[in-house]
Amino acid sequence: MATVSLRNIKKTYSNGFKAIHNLNLEIEDGEMIVLVGPSGCGKSTSLRMVAGLEATSEGDLYIGDKRVNDLEPSERDIAMVFQNYALYPHMSVARNMGYGLKNQGLPRDEIRRKVEKAARVLEIEHLLDNKPKQLSGGQRQRVAMGRAIVRNPKVFLFDEPLSNLDAKLRVQMRIEIKRLQQEFATTAIYVTHDQVEAMTLADRLVVMNGGKVEQVGPPLDLYEKPETQFVAGFLGSPGMNFMPARIQGQALLVQGDHRIDLPDMAELAQWDGRDITFGVRPEHLEACSEAEADFHLKVDIIEPLGADTLLYGHLPGSDSLMIAEQPGKRRYTRGDVVPLRVDRERLHLFDAETEQRLNE
Amino acid sequence: MIENRPWLTAVRHLVLILGIIVIGLPIWIALVASTNTSASFVSGVMPMWFGEEGLNNFRRVLTNEGRVLGVGVSASWMMWNSFIMAMVIAIGKITISILSAFAIVYFRFPFRRTCFWMIFITLMLPVEVRILPTYEVVASLGMLNSYAGLTIPLIASATATFLFRQFFLSIPDSLAEAARIDGAGPMKFFKDILLPLSVNNIAALFVILFIYGWNQYLWPLLITTDENYYTIVMVIKRLMTAGEGNVPWNIIMTTTVLAMLPPVVVVLVMQKFFVRGLVEQEK
Repeated sequence: MATVSLRNIKKTYSNGFKAIHNLNLEIEDGEMIVLVGPSGCGKSTSLRMVAGLEATSEGDLYIGDKRVNDLEPSERDIAMVFQNYALYPHMSVARNMGYGLKNQGLPRDEIRRKVEKAARVLEIEHLLDNKPKQLSGGQRQRVAMGRAIVRNPKVFLFDEPLSNLDAKLRVQMRIEIKRLQQEFATTAIYVTHDQVEAMTLADRLVVMNGGKVEQVGPPLDLYEKPETQFVAGFLGSPGMNFMPARIQGQALLVQGDHRIDLPDMAELAQWDGRDITFGVRPEHLEACSEAEADFHLKVDIIEPLGADTLLYGHLPGSDSLMIAEQPGKRRYTRGDVVPLRVDRERLHLFDAETEQRLNE
Repeated sequence: MIENRPWLTAVRHLVLILGIIVIGLPIWIALVASTNTSASFVSGVMPMWFGEEGLNNFRRVLTNEGRVLGVGVSASWMMWNSFIMAMVIAIGKITISILSAFAIVYFRFPFRRTCFWMIFITLMLPVEVRILPTYEVVASLGMLNSYAGLTIPLIASATATFLFRQFFLSIPDSLAEAARIDGAGPMKFFKDILLPLSVNNIAALFVILFIYGWNQYLWPLLITTDENYYTIVMVIKRLMTAGEGNVPWNIIMTTTVLAMLPPVVVVLVMQKFFVRGLVEQEK
């Protein structure tokens, strides 16, 4: 059990490509951190640097209070679960799980005992003598986790461990990972590009983009108060609606002429005359009466999901897409014009140029 | 693929049968000839059915009774020479090429690509092409008439290195990374992971290389003058020119059959691995 600190970590590849610009992250003992971002954002590179599979170009990396920059992966007291499981194909499940312990020089019966204990936790005892080839995807994933657990490491590292599983199994294993991590209370770093996985697993979420950290915090904080337009657009499904807007005097004009009154108009005054981006999540657009409407959505496509219905459409006189999420009980047809009202407490304003958040 | 075109089937069978005859007839003749007396050939017509002399021929050849082979050593001794040569070449080639492929794929060292390409271009330089300089080197090192001279110049193999390289490249990187995290150093990774995964490839290569080594003709002919180092393949040709006008076909064919046997045994025994090593990729 240990804290992990990344201080001013930079990574530049030999071809000059800067994968990580300046990463600072303090991970607490027993915390589950999820690194999330689009592909190529540097999340995997960061994880591999913690593992020691990739050298850091600059900065200090601590696990516990030990600087581990120059330690071999095996000396860092970490365990890693790979996307493709990386099980040794010619070894039985038991030997796969015990291989690390064997290399540590542990006596055979102790290895056997530890492997069996881990197998019990993961409910794979009956598979111990099988070869990886004979297992299903989910079972292989369990073995890969067993190999990590058995070593009782200070830090678990997960590199997109669920990407190769089908949707149903993914949900199941997600819960399993959460349960195990809480049970063992081991510090964990988890990399994924799937924002649902990220939101559900994380104690704290790190959203990365282009080798930089965009925002760090508890998942709901990031969801409710994204610091940048990127974070706002990345988290949540379907994604946030963005519209060009302008502040004029004390009024907020969205998409040209849609005037939206805010409760705290005084706050807006300081950005008078500035171009901004207005953001609102689909579920914060509420169907309302004509009189209250901020927007009129002309519905092009309807996705009834049961509990909710997604309306895809555009504002009259504009061709930019807008999505609204409505309770599933009401029926819509294509071509409907739905009056919508923006939830005043949950709208987001970003600077059009810097893409930084403006409103509180 | 299911097709029902009778004439195509007929053509296919015809081609197959012709192929079998072309391949099979010489073997048939060799087998038949090895069981006849030398007198059966005097008429100039090849006998097409087995004679009575089979066991006797094999005994005479294997023990070189009455110098039937025209040299001072027996066929059994020459087969032993061939066996040593084939084994050393096969095992040597596999050992060297698996290690060099391991180095090329898993280590980052200066001129790694250059090394690979240097190994690769030796494909263009088989023994036959570099035979004079190689002879010079072997002679200067005093390795003429020795097992070392017979085998060492043939051991380096670009083909096998290339095959192992391709196989290693197909193994996911994460396997090597998992082994690193599990505390396995490079040689331990090689021994515990790479070698067991390569078993099928090694077996397939062994079959090919054993036969390659066994069938060597030119090289042993060139560097051996001492009869004790003659190989079985060499002596067949000698027999055809040694006879005083009367070519001893029964003895030649007996020797030929003997020379064919070990490769056949190797192929039969290792057939299963051979096919698997060439076809199947471990997932």
